[in-house]
Amino acid sequence: MSLAWQFYVSTLLIYVGVDIMAVWALNLQLGVAGVLNFAFIVFQAAGAYTAAVVTLGPASRTGFQHYVGGANWPFPLPVLAAAVVGAVLALVIGLFSLRRLRNDYQAIVMLVVSLIATLIATNDVGLVNGSNGLSLVPKPLASVLGVSPYGIQYQWFFVGVTAVICVLAYWFINRITSSPLGRSLRAMRDNEQVAAALGKNVLWLRLLAMMAGGAVAAASGAILVVLITAWSPSSWLFPETFSYLAAVIIGGSGNNLGAMLGALLVPVGFLEAARFMPSFGNPNLVGALQWIAVGALLLIFLWFWPRGVIPERRRRFPAGRSD
Amino acid sequence: MSVFWASLGFGVVTASILAIAAVGFTLQFGATNIFNLAYGDVMSAAAFVGYLVTQAHLGLWAALLAGGAFGSVFSALLNRLVYAPFIRRGTRLFGMIIVSIAVSLMLANTMQAIWGANFYSLAIPPARPFRIGPFIFTTIQLVIIAIAIAAMAGVHLLLRHTRLGRAMRATANDATLARNCGIRTDLVVDVVWLLSGFLCGIGGVVLVANVTSFDYGTGGNFIILILTAAVLGGVGQPYGAMLGALVIGVASEVSAAIITPAYKELIAFVILVVVLLIRPQGILSEIAAQKEVVAA
Repeated sequence: MSLAWQFYVSTLLIYVGVDIMAVWALNLQLGVAGVLNFAFIVFQAAGAYTAAVVTLGPASRTGFQHYVGGANWPFPLPVLAAAVVGAVLALVIGLFSLRRLRNDYQAIVMLVVSLIATLIATNDVGLVNGSNGLSLVPKPLASVLGVSPYGIQYQWFFVGVTAVICVLAYWFINRITSSPLGRSLRAMRDNEQVAAALGKNVLWLRLLAMMAGGAVAAASGAILVVLITAWSPSSWLFPETFSYLAAVIIGGSGNNLGAMLGALLVPVGFLEAARFMPSFGNPNLVGALQWIAVGALLLIFLWFWPRGVIPERRRRFPAGRSD
Repeated sequence: MSVFWASLGFGVVTASILAIAAVGFTLQFGATNIFNLAYGDVMSAAAFVGYLVTQAHLGLWAALLAGGAFGSVFSALLNRLVYAPFIRRGTRLFGMIIVSIAVSLMLANTMQAIWGANFYSLAIPPARPFRIGPFIFTTIQLVIIAIAIAAMAGVHLLLRHTRLGRAMRATANDATLARNCGIRTDLVVDVVWLLSGFLCGIGGVVLVANVTSFDYGTGGNFIILILTAAVLGGVGQPYGAMLGALVIGVASEVSAAIITPAYKELIAFVILVVVLLIRPQGILSEIAAQKEVVAA
């Protein structure tokens, strides 16, 4: 493979890892727990900002970018910090939006939360450098390995790191979805009243799904920011949430394998394919057609295969012989 | 003090635009239980229709009529051809929200494909300022306020004093019961979408008439304020939407003048979140509270 191709393939693989993690996280919230989290991208963004800030080092007052809480933490810590921030943010957002509201109002409040987050990140320049965003985020471990952070060896090394974190994320999510907790979440999704009547704490279950998903989403953001070394409010606009949403639904809502396939189809396959399309018409035309196609694909799936390519396994339990 | 009065004036104008749009949005939810998140994009499309009409030198009134007519027909078709079939097929509340987002995305990007990411302005004569008491309004703004008052009065008279309005309220309240009482609910739903679409289209044209320039995303960005106003008042409640629009419009513009313009939308959202914490079903919301059982 030529060097350019190696760069392309390794970058694509890292994107694949990031998207798969994000889709697993959203699948836990939407597919398994039934929380329509329109603020999903905020968690990925919060993770990216956290990881960027704790690797960038303390902000100098005369520097070109301003942010809070700079530190020079070594590698695995930024990802962990991002996950913690994601979980805490999910708890805070969940506590006021999931508490007493009807399901559809929850979705709307999430949408509003997503916009509030963009407004704050854009306008409060001291927080994460406003609309210019953060840049020159250092690539971790390059000096330890003794390779150039912008060389191809580092790229492949980072593909490996992404893969490891992906596997950890799968282990974590799968622990939840295949455990009794997962059954409780699905019960709540299918019939909230019945789950509550059986003594399940519905609010707590929802918060838990939000927090676990938020942590994984934030970790995916932490990896993404290392790859692209910059992060600004335009990196996490609402359509990004939509592409993950489409991935979960098209792949198979409630099924980790299906969600993974969805990540390969929508954010990677569909949105990456446009890179190879010859550009024609006005400069926005290809991008616009791409999103029209994603919208149409989603409608087609919701009409013909609302349960996705790989539907959630129908779970059977041995009929009630009490012992 | 003059800053306060000026911003209050702006607030009334914003509230007027918001009221026209939010009442249409909330009527759609009331009649069909759909959060039509593509509403703002239909507004944009209607604004482009209005733009074409003003380009042909037919003036603002013709643009309003054309935009309204477009919104009306487009919304009714949208419901007939997309939303209603999905509901018949058993797509539930969440699914419908996602369907409407997909439609929104497709509409917005279709407009982007046609019109590009350029900015446009309605070709209408430049606005002249008028002094009314402590307020200063331009002619366009006065027209917008007048249209809003007329539209609200029209919706009120229709809902309270006509057979059609009674049928609409009955359908919104309990569609099954209404059908069993001999109301042709399918017809009522069509009329609601035509009517709300008309408000949507007019809303789109006045929205862009009030600003110097617009692009394909102008209406789509406005949907959040519409949602805020509608949910604040209790979604499905036309009077709640009017109240919500007034609160959101005035609060956002006044806070923009007094605190900072950067956060004027944030104020609107904070009001929404606080109100929902105190009164989770919105301000006026008997219908919405019953709907929960149907929707869950």
